[in-house]
Amino acid sequence: MTPLPKDILFDFFDGKATPLQRKLIEDWLMIPANEELYYQYLDEWETRHMQFFPPLDEALTQYRQELNGERTRRVRALYDPPESPFRFQRWFWWSIAASIILLATGGGLIYQDQWRYSTYRTGFSETATHRLPDGSTVTLNANSVLQVPRFGFGEGRRLVRLTGEAVFKVAHLPDHQRFVVDMGRGVQIEVLGTEFVAYARNRGQHVFLHKGSIKLDLPQGKQLYMKPGNLFTVDADGHGKLTETAPAQSYLAWQDHWFYFDNTSLSEVVQQIDEVFGVQVVISESGLARRRIAGNFKATKADQLLQSLSELLNVKITRTNDHIELRTLTL
Amino acid sequence: MSASYSTHSQEKTQSSVFRTSVCKEALVMDDELVLRQAFASDPRKGCELLFRRYYTNLCNHAIRFVYSKEVAEDIVAELFANFWYSRVFDDISTSYRAYLYRAVRNRAYNYLAWQFKRTDSMDAIEDMPVDPTLKPDEVLQYSELHQKIEHAIQQLPAQCQRAFLLKRIEGKKYTEIAEEMQIGTKAVEALVSRALTRLRAELKNDWFLGLSGLVILSIL
Repeated sequence: MTPLPKDILFDFFDGKATPLQRKLIEDWLMIPANEELYYQYLDEWETRHMQFFPPLDEALTQYRQELNGERTRRVRALYDPPESPFRFQRWFWWSIAASIILLATGGGLIYQDQWRYSTYRTGFSETATHRLPDGSTVTLNANSVLQVPRFGFGEGRRLVRLTGEAVFKVAHLPDHQRFVVDMGRGVQIEVLGTEFVAYARNRGQHVFLHKGSIKLDLPQGKQLYMKPGNLFTVDADGHGKLTETAPAQSYLAWQDHWFYFDNTSLSEVVQQIDEVFGVQVVISESGLARRRIAGNFKATKADQLLQSLSELLNVKITRTNDHIELRTLTL
Repeated sequence: MSASYSTHSQEKTQSSVFRTSVCKEALVMDDELVLRQAFASDPRKGCELLFRRYYTNLCNHAIRFVYSKEVAEDIVAELFANFWYSRVFDDISTSYRAYLYRAVRNRAYNYLAWQFKRTDSMDAIEDMPVDPTLKPDEVLQYSELHQKIEHAIQQLPAQCQRAFLLKRIEGKKYTEIAEEMQIGTKAVEALVSRALTRLRAELKNDWFLGLSGLVILSIL
């Protein structure tokens, strides 16, 4: 077969080849070696038809880090949503803020996260409500982090990650797109449009369904469907439990800074104080730690709650430099 | 380069399916000889050289399909990352160039198909291994696909095209585009959305995307 003039291929790459020329190229490509030539010409053609100049040095530096194992492997590829024409300009600043925080912490995985996700974060004693681009709202309890993909949230599915506690009011989209909350440790909540509370901290996890319906994806491929009023809890050891009817207020009231205690041990109360306010309370007397309380308390600061507790239980609050101690009042 | 390495690289060349017919076109393989030697002595160095040589061109090729600098750069960076982690260079029977171009087209195409597919199953599109046996017609279809995309974009009304390119290629925010074009943010969103709808309609009829059994639905 006669060699194919390079011009014909270049015309083809330009989109200027006639159907007859196309056939010529097709026949020419029947010889495998010519496919090699095809890519060689394509590369030449690209060199002559540059459209942009990606920052090579920057990319090479990153690649070197990957080669030296100093950076975790990239796995965005096709599994992650592509950029969407959705409005995320508001997130931009959030992601900048998140980037700074996360870059400061360093590390490969973290690096990847800041790149992929917009992060909503609340400090201690702080709650915040955010409206996501799909119209869903999320109210974050104190000391919580919600990550939302920067690219293509709302294309295919809406996936977010939660650490901490949040009330989700998920908007049902016309195309019945799933909203998925990844709570870590293999637990995911899948919904269409509904209202629920998700809690995911070291102490364990729970999901309380207020309205609508939920599918829970659990480790080892287990699934669970929840009805309104259902509470699903997972303890720190990974044991799950479904409660048919749980009092909604206990799980929702924190939005208005209420603490609902129902036969709750004081040791659990102080754990909550730590989670929400970032204040360490020590109870050295085991008898006191086991005491159980019931009641509703409104508190926006740790002090308010501790004050109420000290009155209720007749305990003394002692402050040291780094923590607070509760002791039985001795006369 | 020591003798043993040259031997090794010759073996590679010999095992290549292209060897026999390549003699006439010795240049085809030869311009990668240095690369092959580098891979034989130090794969890390080889990867780095390969990256330097092809990164820019591959990004330029990818962007013809995906129309976003960021996505194009990611696709190419991932391709090279995989090249290293999966030790792809050990099993290459073609030139590095042929592999890289095929792979970048494959990834760009998958991205595009994924973007147009809108499914709730992320597993549907696997990161398919690069098919070593592309038919000549398929090789050509890739070029025709990006031409088709370019054509569709050129056919867009001027404002629509400008908003779309600023958003996609430059990755600008709607507010920035609004300022630049001196129109409202909502209007920009509408323009970009219209561009995507039209693009989708154009490509929907493209049997190439349909051929792979991918159902093309709306992006928006």
